[in-house]
Amino acid sequence: MTLLSTKSSIDAIRSAQRKGGHLLYVVPAVFLLTLLSAFPLFQLARMSFSDVGIKNITGVWTNVGFANFKAIASDPDFKQILINTLVFVGIVTFLGLILGFVAATAFNDAKKSSDFLLAFMVFIWALPPIVNGSVWKFLLGGDGLINVLLQKVSLISEPIPFLYDPKMALYSVAMVNCWAVIPFNALILKAAFKSVSKDVLEASEIDGVTPLQQIRYVYFPSSRPTLLVLAILTLVYGFRSFDFIYVMTYGGPGLATNTLPFLGYIKAFVLFDFSKGAAIALLSAIFTSGLALLYSRSVRKEEQND
Amino acid sequence: MASIVAAGVAGLLLTTMPAVHAAESITVWHYFSGNPTQEKVMTDYKAIFEKENPGATVENVYVPYDQMNSKLIAAASTKTGPDVVVFNGAETSLLVDGGILAPMDSYWNAFADKAQFPASVIHKANGKVYSAQGYVNLLGLWYNADILAKIKMPLPTTIAEMEKAMAAAKKAGYKGITLCGLPQGQGEWQAMPFISSTGFNYGNLNEKALTDGLGIAKRWVDKGYLSKEATTWDQTVPFQKFLVGDTLFAENGNWQAGAAAGAKFKYGVAALPIGSKGKIYLGGESTAIGAFSKNKDLAWSYLKSTYFSKSGQLVVVPVGSIPSRLDSAKDKSVTGNKLLKPFAAEIAKNGANYPPTEIPATKIADAQTAGGVAWSSVIGGTATPANAAKKYIAAIKALQG
Amino acid sequence: MTNAVKKGRKKSRGIVRRSAKTIFAFFYGMPIVWIILTSFKQETDVFSTQSSLFFSPTLSTYRKLLTSSLFESFTNSIIIATCATVITLLVSIPAGYALARFSNKTLGIGLTALIIFQMIPQTATIIPLFQIFNKLGMLDTLPSVILADAALLTPFAILLMRPFFRSIPVALVEASQIDGASSWQSFSKISLPLARNGIATTATLIWIISWGEFLYAVNLILSPNSYPMSAILAQQVGGFGIFWPGLMALSVLASLPVAILFIFTYRLLREGLTLGAVK
Repeated sequence: MTLLSTKSSIDAIRSAQRKGGHLLYVVPAVFLLTLLSAFPLFQLARMSFSDVGIKNITGVWTNVGFANFKAIASDPDFKQILINTLVFVGIVTFLGLILGFVAATAFNDAKKSSDFLLAFMVFIWALPPIVNGSVWKFLLGGDGLINVLLQKVSLISEPIPFLYDPKMALYSVAMVNCWAVIPFNALILKAAFKSVSKDVLEASEIDGVTPLQQIRYVYFPSSRPTLLVLAILTLVYGFRSFDFIYVMTYGGPGLATNTLPFLGYIKAFVLFDFSKGAAIALLSAIFTSGLALLYSRSVRKEEQND
Repeated sequence: MASIVAAGVAGLLLTTMPAVHAAESITVWHYFSGNPTQEKVMTDYKAIFEKENPGATVENVYVPYDQMNSKLIAAASTKTGPDVVVFNGAETSLLVDGGILAPMDSYWNAFADKAQFPASVIHKANGKVYSAQGYVNLLGLWYNADILAKIKMPLPTTIAEMEKAMAAAKKAGYKGITLCGLPQGQGEWQAMPFISSTGFNYGNLNEKALTDGLGIAKRWVDKGYLSKEATTWDQTVPFQKFLVGDTLFAENGNWQAGAAAGAKFKYGVAALPIGSKGKIYLGGESTAIGAFSKNKDLAWSYLKSTYFSKSGQLVVVPVGSIPSRLDSAKDKSVTGNKLLKPFAAEIAKNGANYPPTEIPATKIADAQTAGGVAWSSVIGGTATPANAAKKYIAAIKALQG
Repeated sequence: MTNAVKKGRKKSRGIVRRSAKTIFAFFYGMPIVWIILTSFKQETDVFSTQSSLFFSPTLSTYRKLLTSSLFESFTNSIIIATCATVITLLVSIPAGYALARFSNKTLGIGLTALIIFQMIPQTATIIPLFQIFNKLGMLDTLPSVILADAALLTPFAILLMRPFFRSIPVALVEASQIDGASSWQSFSKISLPLARNGIATTATLIWIISWGEFLYAVNLILSPNSYPMSAILAQQVGGFGIFWPGLMALSVLASLPVAILFIFTYRLLREGLTLGAVK
């Protein structure tokens, strides 16, 4: 085979693939998701433009246009809840990613203790939020272990109001959520690090490279695509997660830890205003889909340079 | 390998396990878990019914509390559901709206003992009887008798006396009171006796009165009688905190009687000292027949021989609940029960219909949430009593339309 | 650079690593210790000894929970988690592979759609799914929960696995195709083995998530006799509070299989590492 024909056949393969030579591979996924995910999504969207309560959830839905969205936006508490949400999502995404990365690099030393510790963390991650949330509620409580320990060593005299101080409560809940995503991020990142050539890694360990340099020149570039996906997944998680808040503070004190996903849950399943719940979910979905577009564009751009 | 697994999965998908529901069997959905005395009521009722109706069986289905309504709605959307539902009595009209409950009119009207039931425990919607309560639950003032003796204080009969006792307790190194400050229905339920003691109620949306009422909680927090942590407590946690033994009072329900029995100190219950204006909701679970029950007659006979019968109602006494029938409430096991006595006195003096009739039936949950948020924000310090009162009243007015 | 500096840096790396590990061990160890301790407490001791190591331990909670019906729910959990993992992988491996090779608009649409699917609150899907499975006559069956879990996890799995397929050099795949391998052959013989780290990790996570999933289990299964462990765990939360020792003991019991799974997959992952550097 001549060089020229090799090149042209590669081009042929590539263009065939770009034209969708792999379309068959996505058929099962499209089938499953169309059957079981697209319908609920469609219902959710339809619900957010209708007036659906417990009376007609299985009956006729009348279109009300943007009324639900307007009602949500004009709620006097909406601004505070929106700010809470952004702070919450920001902390969970940013710290969850950074600390997950730190954990993955710290554990990437082929030692048994690292494997064990990471496995242990994922093991805890796997426990349902009702368990993890409750445990942290106990630990952070006024009579909880953390406060008692701090008081025993005389670092503080009064218990720290982690979950019931109007300002601190939001940070505490966000930190616990962060705690809950770190094992997942660390595990995925560690798997991604395995694609780093061993020689490069060993060379960087032996050579006098500072830890920061190692992160910057070895770990970071090798896990960039994974980091991007994790950033999106963590962000989506933050925008969807209400269970820790539900267990730990129920949005209180007052509205101090009330976020959009929590409000959406309350509207739909406590107040049975399904439309408003759906509208809030859709609003968050639209926001994240904007980020999703940015993500897919950056992925495409990056990969074109491959 | 992959194809074998796929075939196995496909095979599994085809074998749908049939649901067994014999003709002479009824399912009862309830949300009692974690409280052995309450769980026992369900198994006792099953035994009573199966003994009275040889051949018939009862399947008690425990549904996690948070999932009860969504499970009922989902089931109703496919025209299925339980034969009997045991649920929060305040939610009758909600469940009627959801098409989940069947009207009980025909059974109820023919019920020989219907006169034994006070109107407040019969829940109607659209003029029809849909559910009735076998017992009533309400809040009282639990006290630690050991601490009370140590600080040499009498049982309080006014809020001022209550505060005096709490001040003395605090001085002696104890905590004042535990209660629920969650920003939702449970918080509103616990707030109501105090915020109504100053004259506020859903029929009298007086902002000044409400500000004063909410101010009680603020005062307790400021003086250190009540922890701000109450904003994270549901109704169960504060009672478990009270049982630790270092708190003078607990505002909590009669259903804690079973849990209280394990206390390592002397305790008792007094009526909440909320004067003549104060209102205490009369809550408790209600029972109804499911709209899609295939055996409504059997479901009715289950209710008739358990929740609605004189002897059946006495089964709930160990839980601490007060039987709803006039004749069972007069039974010795009730009148001779020292713990139940103050509750019975409260029903007569401060008892108020739950859900409040001044709020449209479909907006009850919204009103509860608004009340809970106001209560929680005052305890947690995110709002002053005046601001919280203003917002709460505005929300109620909007709901009343 | 002198050897002393190199050594010093290596040492500092060691210190940084060790202190990071210690901190993580503390923050993840503390809750698990608390969970295990509480599972051995009497209910009345949960609050009075909230922050104490000293209490009289009891096995009564475990004794109460360890019944034959718990074994049944355990079996149900194994079936649900395993089948959901298999289905999710069968569907999402090819899709993740394909999305790693696309570079046109389809990719953009695909990725965005997957992320939006990720955004649907699980609670919002319960009623529509209930209606679908009712139409299919599958309510009250394990397969309904399995399929619901698979649909829930497929977008997540595709998104996670795509970068792993992406990191396989295109040249390797193309070379195999020039050598006459069909698209399927180059996928199954070249890409699949090379992406095994990512696949194994994703599979582990999917198994764990479907093991713990309870919303679908509680809502789609009508008779509590066929509940998986996750649903039994959710049952500890009653209308009148939570039975703490029961919740914690069940968490311990429910996590044991997860721990066992980990011992196996970790060996697998380790071997994967030694078997071959990609490049």
